[in-house]
Order: sequence, then C-alpha cells, then structure tokens
Amino acid sequence: MSTFDKNAVEESIRLKESSGGSVTIITVGRSDAKKTVKEALAMGGDRGYLVVVAAEPDPHDSLTTAYLLARAIERAGPFDLVLCAEGSSDVYAGQVGPMLSEWLALPFLGYVRKVEIKDRVIRCEQTLEESVRVLEAELPALVSVVSEINEPRYPTLLQIMQASKKPIEEVGSELLIDRRAPPRLVTTVGMTAHAMSRKRVIFEGGPEATSRKLVEALRSEGVLKR
Amino acid sequence: MPLFKPEHRQLLKVLHPAREEEVSEVLSGLAAFMEEKISPLSPRFDSLAEKITSARKSLLENGICLIPYPSRYGGLELPFSAYTTAIELAGAADASVALSVAIHNTVADGIFLFGSEAQKKTYLPGIISGKKLASFSLTEPASGSDAKAVRTTARRVGREYVLNGTKMFITNAGEADLYFVLSATEKGPTSFIVEKSAPGLEFGEDLPKLGMRGSRTSEVRLTDCRTSAENLVGREGEGFEQVKTMLNSSRIVMGALCVGVAQVAYEKAVTYSKERRAFGGRISDFQLTREKIADMVTGISAARLLCLYASRLKEMGLEFSSEASQAKVFATETSVRVCDQAIQIFGGLGYTSEDVHRHWRDARLLTIGEGTSEVLRMLIASRELARSL
Repeated sequence: MSTFDKNAVEESIRLKESSGGSVTIITVGRSDAKKTVKEALAMGGDRGYLVVVAAEPDPHDSLTTAYLLARAIERAGPFDLVLCAEGSSDVYAGQVGPMLSEWLALPFLGYVRKVEIKDRVIRCEQTLEESVRVLEAELPALVSVVSEINEPRYPTLLQIMQASKKPIEEVGSELLIDRRAPPRLVTTVGMTAHAMSRKRVIFEGGPEATSRKLVEALRSEGVLKR
Repeated sequence: MPLFKPEHRQLLKVLHPAREEEVSEVLSGLAAFMEEKISPLSPRFDSLAEKITSARKSLLENGICLIPYPSRYGGLELPFSAYTTAIELAGAADASVALSVAIHNTVADGIFLFGSEAQKKTYLPGIISGKKLASFSLTEPASGSDAKAVRTTARRVGREYVLNGTKMFITNAGEADLYFVLSATEKGPTSFIVEKSAPGLEFGEDLPKLGMRGSRTSEVRLTDCRTSAENLVGREGEGFEQVKTMLNSSRIVMGALCVGVAQVAYEKAVTYSKERRAFGGRISDFQLTREKIADMVTGISAARLLCLYASRLKEMGLEFSSEASQAKVFATETSVRVCDQAIQIFGGLGYTSEDVHRHWRDARLLTIGEGTSEVLRMLIASRELARSL
C-alpha cells in the first residue's frame, strides 16, 4: 500500500474510533491487490471491496480508475465520507480524488491535514503555501489527505491474523463498466528518467577569486541576473 | 534489504504448505514493523546512545511472543518454526532486542510447559503480550551450563520459600517484572517464579559487554528473598529437567537469532564488495572475495535449515535435543565466521566501523550463552553415541 493511502486509511480508522461507524476499504487492481486490502483491514478496516481488472491499470488513466471506484463505492452501500490519498506514490497525478468527487457528486475537500466531524458537518484544515484554509461541508463528502495528517499505525500480529477473517468482496471491472463509463483519454506511451547533466567546471585559486569566477559563470549561464 | 525474504517464504511453504500464506502475512507484517521501528535504532543501541526499552516494548506489544502459544492465553497458535523465523528476523533488526525478547519468552515457555493452570492464567498472558517482562535466572558465578551444580538455596517456611544465592550474567535483570529462578531444595534443583517486588531481591550493575550492548546483563542477588509457595513451578526436584527442556527450545531460537545477525552482516559485505574498487575492478570480481561470499551464504542457508529442522521436530512432538544443540552450535559458530568474513571484505573499514564489527561482537556471545559450544558438543556426542548402541 502506498504511504499516502496509509494516511487515508489511518484517518478513517481514527474517525471510526472517535465517532463510530464502520470502514470499507475499496481499491482497483489485479487480483493480487487483495493483499493490499488485507493490509488495510489489519489496520482496522471492517470489510474490503476489490475491483479486479484483468491487466495492471495504466497509472495515468485516472479517469477510468476514478470511475471504477465511484461505481464500487455506490455498490458497496450507503456512506457518509470517502477518504483518499492526495495522490499515488507512483505517478502522483493527484487526479483520482477530485474526479471521484465529480462522479459521486460530492463536495471535495482536498489536501487536508486535519479532519473533524460534528453534527454531520465535516471541518477540515487545508495547507496552502503561506496559510491554512479551514473548509466546512455537510456530509456526505470526499476528502483527500496529506501525509502530515497522521502517522499510520502498524497492525499487531493478532490484527494481521484477524484481517484474514474479514470479508472481502471481489467484483470484475467489466461488471462496473456501463454506458456512462468515460472513454479512455490518456495512454502512457513511455516513461523515462529525467536526464541530468553536470558541467563539471572547477575554478582554481583562493576563496575570493574562485567565488568571483563562480558568480561570473552563474551570470553568464543566466542563473543569476546582473 | 527487506528482513522477510522469498527464501523464508519458500522454507515455510515446505514446512507448512497449508499455513504458509497465513504465516507469511504475519511475518511480513512483523518485518515491516521492525524495519521501521527497530533496525534504524540498532547502531544507537550498540553505542549506548539509546536504551532498547521502548523498542523492545513496542515489539512485544506487536505480538512476537504470542506466535507459538494457544489462543486461550492470547496466543496466535502458529507453528514454532514461525516463531523461530520471527526471532531470526528480529536478530537481523537488532541482536540486543532479539536476545532480550527471546530470553523473556523462554520463561513463558517454562511456565507453559511446567506451570500449574493457575500460574499459566496468572502469568502467561501478561508475559507473551509484553505487559510483563521476564528474566531467566539460571547461571551462577560457579555454575553456568552445569545447572545441576546450582548453589542458590530455597527453604520452605510456612506458605513461602526463602531463597538465598547469587545469579550471574542474567539478561533483563533489574528491568524484568518476573524472574524464573533455579534454586536447590533438599530434593534437588527446583524452579520458582519470583516477582520483582519480592523482599530481598536485588540487582547488580549493568555489566559492560563486548557485544549485545543494548541488552542489560547483571547479577541477581537473593538475600532471604521470599516467594509464595504457589510460585513453585512443578514439584521440588524437577527443576533440572525443566530447565533442560526449556534450554532445548531456547537453543534453537538462539541459533536462529545468530542466523539473522549473520544475514545482515553478509548483506552489508555483499553490497560493499560491489561498490569497492581496487586494481581497476570491483572487489566482488576477485575470486577470493567470491569464495567468501559463496561460503558465507552457504553457511547461513545451512544454519537456517538446521534451526527450522529442529523446530519442526519440536512441533511434531519428536525428540529434538540433539538437533537443537546441533542447530545452536552450527548457527552461532557460522554467524561468528560470517561476521568475521564481513569484516575481512570491508578491510580497514570493517575493523574501524562499529556498524560492521558490531555484528561480530553480537554473534560472539552466543557460542557461550545458553550452553557453550563445548557443552553442546558433549550433549550431541552423548546423544549420538547412545543412539548408536
């Protein structure tokens, strides 16, 4: 499980512990993603729901992932709150949360570092560059969390064993694709590491002379403005 | 490198095909916990910059000692070989924490095997869940592996026993809440549970050690120390046979701990051999380095297999005392040799870097503690000679 997802699972369990309710763990993946669902159940989730896809989903096809999750959430039963990570730890597109809120027609409270629920109103703190914004919405709602929101717990060995007894429902993705399903808009055609090169320039001389040469070089490269 | 490896999974599959998935899930969860909470602190435990207390508590609370015990005491009812593997992983995460935890759980084993139902109900859930820390107080200044020569005495006075004597080199002494003490009564060696609060129980200074520096080792002094007659384990005179049985299991576990120590030293040496360049090439390209690597990994695999073979015999209720001793002799001596070779591969850096030579210093204890290699060879030979007659 990605570390960001662990933050979302942890927050859902904390909310369950403080406000009651139950936690359903939902994911899209190949059948071996059941292991990931079990991990979240060991942390304290109550039941799992796995949308099984035949091939590994394209990590950039956020729209399809969000659509499958939205249909799975609807099928999983009534809910008050959907929690997800701010982004995935592989491509970190950060699109599934907002797209999911659109498919489910829910208010989206994104990138939050604190969540409180009182009288069916959710209040979240969102970190901006130089300030903190406080957002409120009525439930049901969708929240994406940032990693600073909590420190995910490690399940005990007993909880890991007990997780095996919790129900996990598996449904094939083909059963969730209907007329409303979006066309595939994005396909990953390739991924390469960013090429980095260094100029390997060495300045000779004492501290004063070399710093002068460094500043001059940075100016001529346009890094420093005159 | 992850602590729980494909080879662990494969071996568990061979030993327990029906339960491999369940055991692997538990052990990979345990490994993830230790990689985050124990391994990064290991150099600090060795340099005494930090105490193991909080890491040990969190590991115990995570459930490592629950693995082999029945659910009626809060255990997980998993095979003993899963526990053996768990201690191997703990040994790779930090040898001192693993030693402290393994000795603690040896006391649980003693109470489980020989305690009354009342003692089991009173003590076992607390020990295996980590609420209470235990200490196995066997060795004395004049008797170590020779447990029959115990000089600490126990005398019945009314509804209590009064204990007098000194125990030496006791792991967890002073920190533990409970002490499993071997004493001599008129009928012979006898085991008692002594609570830390018992009057007349005192502890010496933490002894400085070559390795395993994070675990506390000191004297346990009993001066007219009183413990309830209800804390007598089994009957008077049964103590020697009890500790012999406890040590058989404990020796498998100590062997496994050393496999973990060897594994981590080996991995560091392999990584370094691929980075270090000499004479225009990587030292891993040299035949003499390759010979070392081949011998190291072969030794580790063989030691792991011996520990798991002895574990499996124990699980099946078969005689395993010789195999347990073989596992300990072979695994501990292999570990010392592997850690020594790791220092050699690192060269000058190995001799000067704590993070390389600490593994050798840690492993070195266990060719002595829980039965010296010499005593274990005597036991193995006696057993084998008796078998062949």
